[in-house]
Amino acid sequence: MNATSQTIIQTQHLAKEFGTKRVLQDVNLAIPQGAIVGLLGTNGSGKSTLLKCILGLLRCSQGSARVYGENAWDLSAESKARLGYVPQDIRLYPWMLVRQIIAYTAAFYPRWDFKLTDRLLEEWHLSPTDLVGPLSQGQAQKLALILALGHRPELLIFDEPVASLDPVARREFLKSLLEITQDERHTVLFSTHITSDLERVASHVAVLRHGQIEFFDELDVMKDKVKRLRISAAEDLPPQFAIPGALRTEIDGRRALVAVCDLHPHMVEELKSKWHADISVEDLNLEDIFLELHHA
Amino acid sequence: MHYYRNALMHNLNFQFEVQPSSGVPIYRQVMDQVRALIAGGKLKPGDVLPSIRQMALELQVNMMTVSKAYAKLEAEGLLEHLRGSGTRVAEQAGLGTLETRQQELRPLAEALVKHGALCNLTDEQILTVVKSVLKEQQR
Repeated sequence: MNATSQTIIQTQHLAKEFGTKRVLQDVNLAIPQGAIVGLLGTNGSGKSTLLKCILGLLRCSQGSARVYGENAWDLSAESKARLGYVPQDIRLYPWMLVRQIIAYTAAFYPRWDFKLTDRLLEEWHLSPTDLVGPLSQGQAQKLALILALGHRPELLIFDEPVASLDPVARREFLKSLLEITQDERHTVLFSTHITSDLERVASHVAVLRHGQIEFFDELDVMKDKVKRLRISAAEDLPPQFAIPGALRTEIDGRRALVAVCDLHPHMVEELKSKWHADISVEDLNLEDIFLELHHA
Repeated sequence: MHYYRNALMHNLNFQFEVQPSSGVPIYRQVMDQVRALIAGGKLKPGDVLPSIRQMALELQVNMMTVSKAYAKLEAEGLLEHLRGSGTRVAEQAGLGTLETRQQELRPLAEALVKHGALCNLTDEQILTVVKSVLKEQQR
């Protein structure tokens, strides 16, 4: 990961409407090679729609989505072969055996890593001779992930990959994802609302809110910047008490609780002297940050 | 996986651990632990640390996180990267980090800058004086 690394996904002023309903507006994202990006958002914030626009499964209403420098809507076969996708609602052929559906999918790709798919089947406790139809939702999700990884794509796009996996399977999936991506050549974009999984694997976080990217940065940077201040002033704070860049301000007499999105050390010193206040700075984890971002 | 775990943890008599759901970024948790291990003498100058890959797999975190922690510790002078043989604790680590050693100079530097301003010197002119002193000392 350096400054010269290639941009794999780029959206510019991307907007998407369904009839009169606007789902995405002015989405600008540039995802560099090697990044593992967690796309966070509440239900209905537009996560799946954004992923589909990036994949060229939906056409942007305005703006553009580019993958490997190509327009997503007209993505070449070569670029598609370098891409793996698992949608939220998985459709598999129920009458095939696990082994057969792997062979069937493999036939579409010039390079298929059977060693990898065999290993993943074993690690994720799927039997090659099981019928696809009766698999549980979690098992089907694992199988869909294996089918998306078999051609060793450099770009992986997952829509809620762990939503129906149990904690054990989730850990196994995350472990495999870390192993696959450790060469820093792979780029991953996945949507989720399980922030704890994201904290382990993600290098970057994008927060989608009301169809717009509200925050996109490295996860570490986010944790370094977004803080909660617990302020205890000498006297009652005025109702108009405000801190620049505050996400949320709660005032209760002499005390205030303020979440800020870009904390500078001098800011705390200024506040201390201005209000004769005791201030403690609290670190926030991703879930706290997500909640603070959605408070306003 | 298991091979890594054994090889890694049997060589060292301690374990790294991180709490991903803490508000402290993971790279800083790793940095703090390395610092503490060096300060406590469990890691000595010359000791080789687990590779970035080993550490990432062991902690089950992103490789970039570990590489960031190592890079920052290198910049502080606590670790040094050896081509081909990984990362080890720097010889001068016992002396204190680069940062703390630089910190020693700060009061003097502040006095110098203040005095320079009193003499109506620009930043460049102050630096010129410092550079010429450094040059004389080298002779």
